[in-house]
Amino acid sequence: MRKLQITTAIIAIILVSGISSDVISQDLSGKQIIEKVYNRETGDDQTSDLTMTLINRSGSQRVRKIKQFTKDMGDVEKSIMFFLAPADVKNTSFMSWAYDTDKSDDQWIYLPALKKTKRISSDSKSDYFMGSDFTYDDLGDRKLEDDTHKFLREETMDGVDCYVVESIPVDEDYMYSKTLVWVNKSNFIGVKKEYYDEDEDLLKILSIKDSEEISGIWVITKSEMKNVQKNHRTTIGLSNVQINTGLTESKFSERMMIRGL
Amino acid sequence: MKTKGFILILLFIASQYTTAQNIDIGGYVRNYTGVMFEQGDFSILQNTLNLDFTTSGDKVALKANPMLYHYNADSLSLTMRELYLDLYFDNFDIRIGKQQVVWGKADGAFITDVVSPLNLTEFLLPDFDEIRRGVNAVKFDYYLGNSTFEAIWIPNFTPTETPGAGSIWYVQPEFPVMPTFDWSKSSVNPSLENSELFIKYAALTSVIDFEFMGGYTWDDFPTMHVAKQVDMSTGAPVLTGLDITPQHHRLYLGGGSFSTQIKAFVLRGEAAYYNGKYFQTEDPFAVDALVEKDYLHYLVGLDFNLGNVKISSQFIQETIMDYEEGMLKAENENTMTFLARYDMLRETLHLELFSYIGLTNEDALIRPKITYDFDDSFSILLGANIFVGEEDGRFGQYGDNSMGYMKLKYSF
Repeated sequence: MRKLQITTAIIAIILVSGISSDVISQDLSGKQIIEKVYNRETGDDQTSDLTMTLINRSGSQRVRKIKQFTKDMGDVEKSIMFFLAPADVKNTSFMSWAYDTDKSDDQWIYLPALKKTKRISSDSKSDYFMGSDFTYDDLGDRKLEDDTHKFLREETMDGVDCYVVESIPVDEDYMYSKTLVWVNKSNFIGVKKEYYDEDEDLLKILSIKDSEEISGIWVITKSEMKNVQKNHRTTIGLSNVQINTGLTESKFSERMMIRGL
Repeated sequence: MKTKGFILILLFIASQYTTAQNIDIGGYVRNYTGVMFEQGDFSILQNTLNLDFTTSGDKVALKANPMLYHYNADSLSLTMRELYLDLYFDNFDIRIGKQQVVWGKADGAFITDVVSPLNLTEFLLPDFDEIRRGVNAVKFDYYLGNSTFEAIWIPNFTPTETPGAGSIWYVQPEFPVMPTFDWSKSSVNPSLENSELFIKYAALTSVIDFEFMGGYTWDDFPTMHVAKQVDMSTGAPVLTGLDITPQHHRLYLGGGSFSTQIKAFVLRGEAAYYNGKYFQTEDPFAVDALVEKDYLHYLVGLDFNLGNVKISSQFIQETIMDYEEGMLKAENENTMTFLARYDMLRETLHLELFSYIGLTNEDALIRPKITYDFDDSFSILLGANIFVGEEDGRFGQYGDNSMGYMKLKYSF
């Protein structure tokens, strides 16, 4: 059931970005730019409906629907998600506790058919999530120190002024040899990211299609990851986004995993 | 009947709360066809309709899960797997009705997972969500932070269901003379005195998940009380008859389980200690050919990834304490399980190998399978159940039943 391992936190990393525009500096290093992307305000808690659409090269689609809740509790961020579709994973739930320290995430999955909550390993972040084009690491909370960041240039992308930063993994065995990210200079949202494989060939392109400002925080509501080598893609859409609604800690418990929505 | 009436009243009460809410309907339709390798006979021809009705609100929820099995001879079997009412309060929940309860951290083994009895009419082959029998019970859960105290009261005992004579999974016991069975004590009269009680304390923490449990229950399998008829007329004792009286006995058990992540590994463990379980013996001086012994059943398991392959392995041991010569069951019985799973083609093709390996009897059940998801609703599964090893082993005894099978499943 590793295919169901995902953290809402991750989706937040890619899809939820926000920072006030008055911190723009023309002399930022690559590391500083990425740090601003990573350390943005996302609110104390968030609720949203997530739709993930897998589209193969012939255009046929498979759809996954998830209801997700996230709460930042200071030194730990807790997430819980409930799978709504497809039918064979309906009522499956997943809970993650991600720590600010080096401690590995704690992750559990509740399988309604087995009526069992299982602790699962948070390792193997190179696996693809539910058959999509996103790996767990693509969606996850990658640490600033995991890569060496280099500012390359400024560039205008679809009318948006961007910083272009190259990030090379410290771990030479990592699944990507490098990534290039285009960061909106006005709000430090990543608007495009290119992933290069171990042979340094372009593998995937992440594109931000739409974003909204909700409760003062910019939320990317539609994005697409395209595998250019295999010509299939995955879109992620967020809807019914609610921020700072006062979710209680008891929401992130085994009781709620079992009880469901 | 009193229990059923009680449930109906509860359902009526629940309906007053839920009439304004939508009923969520899900489930699946499945065709399951199996062919035995040796004889070429169909081991199973089964169509299944599984319906799952749920409706829930802030204070109450209702679930009904009927399953309809259609077999090769136009025989229909309707089972209400679960039918219960949930009542939600601030710090506790109550579930009343027919329900399946799953405890412990083991996969494919039943150690502290003893609240719901099993349906072994097809041995261990059904999916684990189908192998348990629902029990009429009241379940109370009290929550304190990330820990849960659970108490379950089962008013009427439900035994494990075993294969009947005529089933390919029925193993004919061997007797030196023709026995006579007395079934008058084989059932447990439903009464307050004969009810079962289970308690559990469980917690999920950032370091380890654990459970402690205890049970005042009945042995799910009846004990065979054997009275021997001996003819001494020739001077030497000659066995002339056996009077066998199956009877369930009370059991006390306690145990626990844990699960924790150590780097890339998930380590699991589970143990249960039974006080006063009956075992059969050949000791001629034993009353009813039985001895009462304590019994330990435990498991350790490890889950990890090898590249993109998910691996899980478990070691299971059953140990009879204070063992005596002549007992029919071995003092120690060791079993391993092994699971490898690989998903490919954007998780539409799944390869899996699961095996029980009997270390004591040198036998095994090997279960390879391939599942292909045509789309998000429809899948086809091709698999095999291969029994190998010693004929007196738990798995090897079914050597003639090795089979290939196919399952077509439409989920909705």
